[in-house]
Amino acid sequence: MTLVWKLLKQHISPLQLAGFLLANLFGTWIVMLGVQFYRDAIPLLTQDDAFINQNFLVVSKRVTTATTLTASSNTFSTSEVEDLRKQPFCKRAAGFTSSRYKVSASMSLQGGTPLQTELFFESVPDSFVDVQQAEWNYTPGDENVPVILPRSYVALYNFGFAQSRGLPKVSDGLIGMIDMGIFIHSRSGGAQFRGKILGFSNRLNTILVPQDFMDWSNERFEPGRTDEPSRLIVEVVSPADDAIARYMQEKNYDVEDNKLDAGRATYFLRVVVSLVLLVGLLVCALSFYILMLSVYLLVQKNTHKLETLLLLGYTPARVARPYQLLTIGLNIAVLVLAFILTLLCRNYYTDMLTLIFPQMETASPIAALGAGCAVFAAASAVNCTAIRRKVIAIWHRKA
Amino acid sequence: MQTITLKHTLPLVFAQQADIKSDIWRQEVSLERGKFYLIEAASGTGKSSLCSYLQGYRRDYEGEIRFDDRDTRSLSVGEWARIRQKSISTLHQELRLFPELSTWDNIQIKNNLSGGFRKDSEIRDWLETLGIADKAEEKTGRMSFGQQQRVALIRALVQPFDFLLADEPVSHLDDTNASLVGDILSAEAKRQGAAVIVTSIGKHMNLPYDKTFHL
Repeated sequence: MTLVWKLLKQHISPLQLAGFLLANLFGTWIVMLGVQFYRDAIPLLTQDDAFINQNFLVVSKRVTTATTLTASSNTFSTSEVEDLRKQPFCKRAAGFTSSRYKVSASMSLQGGTPLQTELFFESVPDSFVDVQQAEWNYTPGDENVPVILPRSYVALYNFGFAQSRGLPKVSDGLIGMIDMGIFIHSRSGGAQFRGKILGFSNRLNTILVPQDFMDWSNERFEPGRTDEPSRLIVEVVSPADDAIARYMQEKNYDVEDNKLDAGRATYFLRVVVSLVLLVGLLVCALSFYILMLSVYLLVQKNTHKLETLLLLGYTPARVARPYQLLTIGLNIAVLVLAFILTLLCRNYYTDMLTLIFPQMETASPIAALGAGCAVFAAASAVNCTAIRRKVIAIWHRKA
Repeated sequence: MQTITLKHTLPLVFAQQADIKSDIWRQEVSLERGKFYLIEAASGTGKSSLCSYLQGYRRDYEGEIRFDDRDTRSLSVGEWARIRQKSISTLHQELRLFPELSTWDNIQIKNNLSGGFRKDSEIRDWLETLGIADKAEEKTGRMSFGQQQRVALIRALVQPFDFLLADEPVSHLDDTNASLVGDILSAEAKRQGAAVIVTSIGKHMNLPYDKTFHL
C-alpha cells in the first residue's frame, strides 16, 4: 500500500484539501453546535416544577379596560370550561377555588420580625398537585395547614423585606425554619392557623392550600356562597403545542403561567435551530462538493497510473482505497475538530447562560456527537462510493 | 488456466474487410500452457488489439475468446484482476512503468501484489544479469527505453503465470541483451510450466517456438 500511496499521492493539492477541511469543519461545527445548543437550551424553557407538572397551564380571562368598564364577568362559565375540555390539546381542566374570606399572614424566620401581609388562598383539585397525598391534606380542626408559596413571594420577602431589615434570607433549605401564621377574618368570626410550607413553586402565582381545607374553611367562614372560578388549571398534552396559543388568543384568555411563552420560545428555538442546521448542512454539502471536485481532478490527473495499476492486477477497490482513506481521514479530522470547537463554544455560552439561569444543567454532548457522526458517515459513504465509481469508470475506460 | 482459444475473433475495425488473410483473425486457434508461440505481424494488422483483448483491456471484437471453457466476455472485474495477478502476465509494448518510481519500486509494486512472489535476492540477480543493477534506485523516467524494457521484463516475472504475453519484448535491445532476455524468459516459463506468447513486427527473440502465427 505504501508504494501505491507513493504513486497516487502525486498531484494532491494541499490547498484544495485545506479548503475542503475548513469548509467542512465550518459546516459540521454549525450542525453540532446547533444540536448542542438546542439540547442545552430546551430544558431551560421546559423545566419541571416540583409541585406542578410541566403540562399544566393556569388560564384566566384577559382583564382589559373595556372589561373593567363594562363590568363583564371575568369568571369561567360551565360551558366555557366544557369547551376548553373538548379541545384536543386538553387532557383535563378544573377551576381554582378562591377563599371567600379575608386572610392575613405573618412570615418570619425563627422568631425574627415577621412580614405581615394580607393575602388570599386558592386551591385546585389535589390530583393536580404533585405532592404526596399524606402531606397534602387537611382534617377539619387541625391547626396546621399545608401551603405551597409562589417563589416570587419568597423573592418579595428576601429582597423587599429581609434585606432592608438585615434579616436572614429564606432559601429552599430553610423551609422548615419559617414560621407562618395564618389569620382568617370573616363575618362569622375568625381563626388562627399555622402554615406548614411544603415548598415554593415557580409556576403558580398564588398561595395554594389543599382542596379539603378550602372547602371546609369556605363553608365554615363564609357559608352559602358559590363562585364561578376566575382561573382554571389545565393539563395539556404538550405545552409547546401552538394550537394552545391560538385557542387562548381566540378566546381572549390569558395564560398566567410562563409555560405558553415557553411554548412560543421553544417553537422559536426550534425554527432557529432548524435554520441553523439547514445552513450547516448546506455548508457541508458545498464542502463535500469541493472535495469531490478535488478528488475527481486528482483521479483525472492520475488516470494513466490508475489504469496501469489495474492492468498489473490491482483491483479497483484496492486502487480506490488510498483516496478513500484520505477522504475518511479528512472527515475524521473534521469531526474531531468540530467536536472540540463545539465543546469550547458550549463552555462559552454556558458561562453566559448560567448568569441568567443559575440552575442550568448542561446536556450530554452525545446528541451533538451523534449529529457530527451522522454528517461524517453520510459524507464518507458518498465520498467512498463516488471514488470507487470513478475508478471503475477507468477500468471500463469511460473516465 | 490451460488453454486460450480464439474462435472467429476479429477486431471490429476490420469487420468490413472481406479479404483478411491471417492465421489468427477469423480462425479457430488454441494456445496451450507450456508451449512457446510467436505471432509475427506487420503494422496495422491488429497486434496491439490482440494483446489488449487477452488482457481484458479492450472488448471491441467479434467472435469469442475463451480461457479454458470460459468466455472472457462473462468475466467479472474481480475475475479479471485475479487473472492478471495469477494467470496472465504481460510485458506491454509501451512498458507501462511508473516514471516517478525507481526501478526497484516499479518491480516491487508488482511483487507486493503477488505477496512477495520473488525474493529480493532473485530480483537483484536478474538486475545484475541484465546489466541494470546500478539503476536499481534510478527513477525509470530517466532511463533509456532499452533499460526500461529490461525493468518491465523483470516486473513481468515477479508473479505466477500460466501465459506470458510479451508484446515486442526486445524491440529496443541489442542482440546480446535480447538473447539474455530470451534465456531468462524461457527459463522462467519452463520453471512455471507456462506458455510464452511473443509478438513481433520485425526483430524477434530467439526462442524454441512451437508454433509461429502470421497475424
